Amino acid sequence: MQSVAATHDRTAFAALFGYFAPRVKAFLMRSGLSANMAEEVTQETMLAMWHKASYFDPSRAGVSTWIYAIARNQRIDRLRREQTHTIDRHLDPSDELEPPDSGEDIALVAERDEQVRTALAALSSEQATIVHLSFFADKPHAEIARELGIPLGTVKSRIRLALNRLRSLLGDET
Amino acid sequence: MTINHHPSDATLLRHAAGTLGAGPAVVIAAHLEGCESCRRRISEFESVGGAILEGMPLEPLKTDALARVLERLDLPPSSPRSGSLVTRHHRLVGLELPPSLHHCEIGPWRWLGPGFRWSKVSIPGSSDAKVMLLKGRAGLKLPAHGHGGTEFLQVLSGSLFDERGRYHPGDLDEADIDVDHQPVVGPDSECICLVALEGDTRLHSALGRLLWPFVGF
Ligand SMILES: [Zn+2]
Repeated sequence: MQSVAATHDRTAFAALFGYFAPRVKAFLMRSGLSANMAEEVTQETMLAMWHKASYFDPSRAGVSTWIYAIARNQRIDRLRREQTHTIDRHLDPSDELEPPDSGEDIALVAERDEQVRTALAALSSEQATIVHLSFFADKPHAEIARELGIPLGTVKSRIRLALNRLRSLLGDET
Repeated sequence: MTINHHPSDATLLRHAAGTLGAGPAVVIAAHLEGCESCRRRISEFESVGGAILEGMPLEPLKTDALARVLERLDLPPSSPRSGSLVTRHHRLVGLELPPSLHHCEIGPWRWLGPGFRWSKVSIPGSSDAKVMLLKGRAGLKLPAHGHGGTEFLQVLSGSLFDERGRYHPGDLDEADIDVDHQPVVGPDSECICLVALEGDTRLHSALGRLLWPFVGF
């Protein structure tokens, strides 16, 4: 990433592409995009990463979070464009969706990633499953109920418990 | 500005995951503009997203994917987004609207009841989003209502209170199916709120039934 930022080095870019693109594509398919659309959005994501690399002060940690945010935004953009029949650049809704962390000190992101990963590892497997499934579905409740074999009526409180636990593991006041 | 009412963690997670509908997302974005602690929480959930991404199994790309992207690296990025769409009605609202609404179309104020007006907020590309501005005069009592889905309400000016608390500019109230309330506008000034409804508006009992014939969504 350092050399992508500094010299726009294609070799470094290709290495990042090799590592992240298959993960991004899998993530997008898991969140409901068809294989073809996931392929296209993945390519757009990697391209956007290249164009934004100059803002990015690299360090290995934090990169996945940054790419995650770009992929998420590209996915939202794409889904909204599908709905907008007449393309009007002035009505492009996407600029609110810039990754909030693109200009943020990467050391902070790296530190937070570290804390978040430690916290995730400390969740019970049920709670980790809840957090994981919450990322992938528009209506995650049914899927969580099925996956964990719990009644739909208790899913909401289980989600709340899991997120409260995550919050306390991260040391945030409730 | 002290903020006392925030979106739930479950909602912030959906926002960070990009799975929240466009309507609620606009209201949450308006809250985030003024709330540092929720912004921090979003960042944490994005880190969770990064960790999940890192742990995904690999889905191979088409064999020419890298070559195709490399070919495009030197082309200028697709046109920079000009997001701002400030209409006449943006100015007529009578207050500074949150930046999260700058790309939205704001309709004129329309009558909803004595001292009670609403204006439709249209999000380009999301015609089914149910978002509106509501304006009530000081002391206005809204109809008591329950909720058929979640109602997200961000106070922009004035204040509002109900059985559960008092809401000032910057506060976000997330009222779901378990909440029955009768909001009352604070006595000192009119109140303007940004509201998004999730689910079938008609099921949002009093408020939804009141809005539905006008709003038609
Ligand atoms: Zn907040």
